[in-house]
Amino acid sequence: MRVGVRTLSIAALLSIGACSEPAGYPNKDITIVIPFNSGGGFDTYVRALAPGLERHLPNAINVLPKNLPGAGGRRGASEIFRSKPDGYTIGIFNMPGVLIPQLQNIPTSYELSQVTWLGTLGYDPYIYAVRGDSPLKSIEDVSELQRSVTYGATGPGSTSYVATNIVNERLGIPYEIITGYTGSSGYLLGLVRGDFDAALLSQSVARSYLESGDIRALAIFGSESSDPDVADADDLGAPELGQLRVVRMMGAPPDLPEDIRIMLEEALLASMQDQEFRVWLETTGNDVHPAGAAETEAAVSEMTQFYDQFKQLLD
Amino acid sequence: MPELLLQAAAGLLSPETLIFLVGGVIIGLVFGVIPGLGGTTALALLLPLTFGMEVMHAFAMAGGIMGAVAMGGSISAILLNAPGTAPSAATCLDGHPMAKQGHAAEAIGAVATASPLGGLFGVLTLLLVLPLARDIVLLFGPPEFFLVAVFGIVTVAMSASSNTLRGLVAGGIGLMLSFVGYDTVHGGVRYAFGSDYLWDGIPLIPALVGLFGMAEMIRLSIEGGTVAADASAVRLQGVASGLRATFRHWKVVIRGSITGTLIGAIPGVGGTVATFIAYSTTRNADRDPDSFGSGRIEGVIAPESANNAKDSGALLPTLAFGIPGSAEMAVFLGILVLHGMQPGPAIFADHEQDIYGLILALTFSAILASIIGLSFVRWLAAITLVKGEILAPIVIAVSLVGVFAMQLRPGDIVLAATLGVLGYLMLRFDYPRLPLVIALILGETAERGFQQSMMISRGEWGIFVHSPTSVVLVVLIVLSFGWSFVPMLRKRLAAGIAGAAS
Repeated sequence: MRVGVRTLSIAALLSIGACSEPAGYPNKDITIVIPFNSGGGFDTYVRALAPGLERHLPNAINVLPKNLPGAGGRRGASEIFRSKPDGYTIGIFNMPGVLIPQLQNIPTSYELSQVTWLGTLGYDPYIYAVRGDSPLKSIEDVSELQRSVTYGATGPGSTSYVATNIVNERLGIPYEIITGYTGSSGYLLGLVRGDFDAALLSQSVARSYLESGDIRALAIFGSESSDPDVADADDLGAPELGQLRVVRMMGAPPDLPEDIRIMLEEALLASMQDQEFRVWLETTGNDVHPAGAAETEAAVSEMTQFYDQFKQLLD
Repeated sequence: MPELLLQAAAGLLSPETLIFLVGGVIIGLVFGVIPGLGGTTALALLLPLTFGMEVMHAFAMAGGIMGAVAMGGSISAILLNAPGTAPSAATCLDGHPMAKQGHAAEAIGAVATASPLGGLFGVLTLLLVLPLARDIVLLFGPPEFFLVAVFGIVTVAMSASSNTLRGLVAGGIGLMLSFVGYDTVHGGVRYAFGSDYLWDGIPLIPALVGLFGMAEMIRLSIEGGTVAADASAVRLQGVASGLRATFRHWKVVIRGSITGTLIGAIPGVGGTVATFIAYSTTRNADRDPDSFGSGRIEGVIAPESANNAKDSGALLPTLAFGIPGSAEMAVFLGILVLHGMQPGPAIFADHEQDIYGLILALTFSAILASIIGLSFVRWLAAITLVKGEILAPIVIAVSLVGVFAMQLRPGDIVLAATLGVLGYLMLRFDYPRLPLVIALILGETAERGFQQSMMISRGEWGIFVHSPTSVVLVVLIVLSFGWSFVPMLRKRLAAGIAGAAS
């Protein structure tokens, strides 16, 4: 049985360009690499989506999530990048988490511009938040402060740290960052406790604390604001800051045969329309912003350009 | 809260969950009885297996193990003078003399009641404190975390060994190991030698499996023979009088339980310290302290009640702060995260029912462990008679598979093996391993807490005595440092007085 499977996938490999029939693809289980521990935002998203993918791909195969946490998502990205481009290993990329080290010239064993992009699942906008009882009511109040504003973030080079730098440089606010908090829940707690004035939090992390009134949003980046008290990037006169968001993108190793790529892209888009998945999104408060492969590829290069112009702020 | 508690109880009592609970209790007993294995190893091996389980099943099993290990560890401590687990070491002091005098059954009977009673006390305390968890969490900012970490390292280094200096040396090695990897404050990578594996630092679980399980097995292979040197005392009579003795000495139970819960709740201090302190306070409060060590049943009851009470205490910082209260809890933290529970302020709100389930599992398992332990005591003790050449390869193979299965990183195997050798050398040259582990766990917290405090206060040292919590912690640190010099000072003073009189 195993030998047969292997022969078939080799046949699929040899057929690149020559034959458009993916030789019965898929005929074995597909692994989705998740670069984080189980239970996180990326993990739950993939796990909720996997049954839909199974339904929308031909043949009765399983789609198996595989958690490869480590090195801030770089371990997972490397694993996907180095796998055989046979359509049996695909994965989710945290952007711009895995993009930033590449721009910092940290040696990585992947190159995002060569990844075969399959699509985008959704994104998580950044919220500019202060403590619930803070006297700061708007970004204007913040820029009128007669001292530098303090922020909390995880380590230098992390997405939250980079986003905090970019926002303050762009808006011309004098600032200091207290680094070293463990994860976004770490500096969220620091904000509630009053260790610093403000923080940039991803919306999914901030949600329940916004509802409880522990923290208050002054601005949102990466999405339009639906609340008149909360400014968005356009209101602040800095539309390019709309790039500041965490995006969940699906990709495969470089040189994935085009026919397999199309099958995966279509199955991905179809499963995001499933009733079951929609219900899951609603009950968990998760957002979905499906996008196809071409759009995802464009978004990657746009994002790369955006962060590249702030290169000196990445470290 | 009451409805959720009832729902949790109903969930725990479903047949399926009960099977996992009983399974956990049996695993806990077996791992407890074998010296060197203990709850940390059992949980570490179980961790990857819980992955496919439902949360309640995983919690039932983990709770079963944590509640049962103490009983197992104390059985070998009493019968063979070989504590199955580190916290059971205090039970040896009076338990084994009892066994020698033919009162082994009585001692085990006392364990069988003192253990679950201590556990029950701890659980009730935990339930009372849970609603305050949020306020407790907000008491601890970067300066407080720094002080807590220092307190943990100091206390363990001071009390883990008769030789304080060796304790501090081991703590220092642990601190050095904790510096490996990405520095979350300044962003540099330290001692990683360009490897992605070390970028995340020294992973705790492979380190623990190496330092304890592997090291013990290396020792067994080198020294040969069986785990138990003397198996003459495996006879059981008079259990009932032991069971009753605990109720007669209820004051001892309460004192032991309070000590266990309090010390268990201090991150990083853990069970061994708790049981020894419970033993010494009971001894000091007694009218005849000198008779301890020759087979006083109070000397068994006190550490045993602390032994199970400490688990509940240790859960509080683990759940609320994500700071493990003990090495066992550090592994349990992994199980929590594996099941998508991020320890922190939201965990009580988000997973209230699961947490009640876990707390109940801890209680039930202590009672179950006593019942099962009493009925299987002969068979369990037989494990300690298995020859080293058979036991060691099995245990080593099983631990390494467990270590690898967790994150599929070959580096974890290399690390466990390396630290296994280090652990053996520490055993061989009588360096305590606990300070190393505690420092490895708390090193990052201490460093980060210090640097963040300095950033927040803009270099003002006053931040470390800024809040009532931090003042209390500073006093505790000073006291625990001073504590170890008290006997020495007393001796000097006595010598001085004697010198002056002559």
